[in-house]
Amino acid sequence: MSSLGTAGAKASARRLLKANAWFVFAFLYVPIVVLVVFSFNDSERVNVWQGLSPRWYGEALGNTQIISALRVSLIVAISSTIVSTVLGTAVALALDRYRFKGRRALDGTVYLPIVIPDITMAVMLLVFFAEAFKLIDTFGPRLTLGVTTVALSHIAFNISFVAVVVRARLDQFDRTLEEAARDLYATPWGTFRRVTLPLIAPGIAAGALLALALSLDDVVISAFTAGPGATTLPVYVFSTIRQGVTPELNAISTLMLAASITLVVASLALQRPRSTTP
Amino acid sequence: MNGDGAVAGPTAERDGGVAHGPGAEDRTGVPAVEMHGISKRFGDVVAVDEVDLEIGDGEFFALLGPSGCGKTTTLRMIAGLDIPSEGRLAIFGEEVASWPPDRRPVNTVFQAYALFPHMTVAQNIAFGLQMRGIRGAEADRQVAEATALVRLEGMEQRRPSQLSGGQQQRVALARALVNHPKVLLLDEPLGALDLKLRQEMQTELKALQREVGITFIFVTHDQEEALAMSDRVGVMSEGRLLQVGTPAQVYEHPANRFVADFIGRTNLLEGVVESSTTLRLHAGAVVAAETDLAAGTPAALSVRPEQVRLHGRGETPQGAPCLDGVIGDATYLGHAFVYTVSIGGSGDGATTITVRAETGSAALAVGEPVSASWLPATTTVVAD
Repeated sequence: MSSLGTAGAKASARRLLKANAWFVFAFLYVPIVVLVVFSFNDSERVNVWQGLSPRWYGEALGNTQIISALRVSLIVAISSTIVSTVLGTAVALALDRYRFKGRRALDGTVYLPIVIPDITMAVMLLVFFAEAFKLIDTFGPRLTLGVTTVALSHIAFNISFVAVVVRARLDQFDRTLEEAARDLYATPWGTFRRVTLPLIAPGIAAGALLALALSLDDVVISAFTAGPGATTLPVYVFSTIRQGVTPELNAISTLMLAASITLVVASLALQRPRSTTP
Repeated sequence: MNGDGAVAGPTAERDGGVAHGPGAEDRTGVPAVEMHGISKRFGDVVAVDEVDLEIGDGEFFALLGPSGCGKTTTLRMIAGLDIPSEGRLAIFGEEVASWPPDRRPVNTVFQAYALFPHMTVAQNIAFGLQMRGIRGAEADRQVAEATALVRLEGMEQRRPSQLSGGQQQRVALARALVNHPKVLLLDEPLGALDLKLRQEMQTELKALQREVGITFIFVTHDQEEALAMSDRVGVMSEGRLLQVGTPAQVYEHPANRFVADFIGRTNLLEGVVESSTTLRLHAGAVVAAETDLAAGTPAALSVRPEQVRLHGRGETPQGAPCLDGVIGDATYLGHAFVYTVSIGGSGDGATTITVRAETGSAALAVGEPVSASWLPATTTVVAD
């Protein structure tokens, strides 16, 4: 009797867990599906289904404001990715290889931008730029917020993400390989170029893709540090949403979603430890 | 020394063979490696303690010792991967103690091979050539020769991860030998292989060394491997080099208790030196034994199991040192018996002697009273 009871309880617990898994799954993905489906809605109004059409994609891509915001987004994303990938990789290598004064402090603080709330980071950067400009302006040039400040801000948080990803790769790196290269007449630079760099390249690429995705997605920090004319695509979307959601926004959001997913999946694929079998 | 140290000598050029080092006629008598007072400290830890060592040109030399004895650090200092804290180090007469590894005419076969996983077998082997600016047809020719030398033809385009342990080992050898090093360093090269493959590779490595004529320095913790493969052995313990000699010298005349115990199996019969020709054993007997140690020094007599003869009580040959005991244990090994003989005596005197006897002789039963004897010339007096 009692054993039958526990068996029944186990079965229902399993059913409950299964149902919960489906619920969580639905909770996460139903809104996305709705968004994607409605981006193909032919109707002027978001909530009235009128049949399938790519019409709003055409409208979105014909909107000069959207295109200019997209341009800003890409400039910021690409430039901040390049700079933060180089600097983040250098930080990861330094922390992994060298014992220097302040190493522990740097090790602890380099990850701070990952945990600091976006809004704090945004306010922080805005105050910083304002103060810096005041100082620099006393020497003549009149600096204002713009694409450069947005890019600098994105570099500031992207360095941390790149450093984390590259360090994870370095942890698995066998240092004997570098010794073998040195033993085989490679200079320190030759060793880095021919052995270290190719072997940690997947980690660097993963970090770069993550940085690109984060930069393309960012709203809060970009909104605070952008001046007039430096509106990124997410900031543009956020500002137009106050006039109500239009089907055009659905289309842009779907495009951004597709871009982000592609980048993140590519990043994960590169980070996955794989056998070296070609 | 001439400047083109790392590149092949004239002999190699003439007969076109890969990695043919200086032939016997070219040997100059300059030691391949010379160390004087070499020490290495890591913080407070002394890894290598004032080692003096000379390794001859063309020698197959084994550095033998338990893990942590400093043998790998010694090898790494020759390679340039560790820089000595003190002392002088010369390779073929050239002071190299502070040189970086890429300037030294030596190459290393690493313990876990350290093959570059992102390169094919051929690219791995060509790496050293490329780093020295040898490219194109000449590099291809040398890579092909090295590949043939270690019998890896047909594997050139594979990745290290697609090879067996033995094959990876050969790639590591080819990758080092293709550079015609003046000295080849091998760090436990057989440690990662299973027993059967290890024995095969032992023979192969020896044959390879004879073929290329390069000085091989070989680090191992396996004393059988060291004895079987090398021309001379250096035994290390706790950073010190305790004894250097041929395998026979080291086995038959160990310099101290550690070496006697570490190399092969031995019986250490404790006692006190009585004179330059006698030792008083705690087991009771005074036995003949040559020694330089002062009278009164605590010492032990090292008697190898295969040098002990067992007789019936009172049947020992005239004049041979002997101890009376009882067979405590007998093990049949096929080609030999191993007996443990319990020697009586009170307190300190109680001990056992392990005896190895050929199977031809009659088996002895446990409990049988026997006399164990040996020839004084086959024993060594050892102290700490």
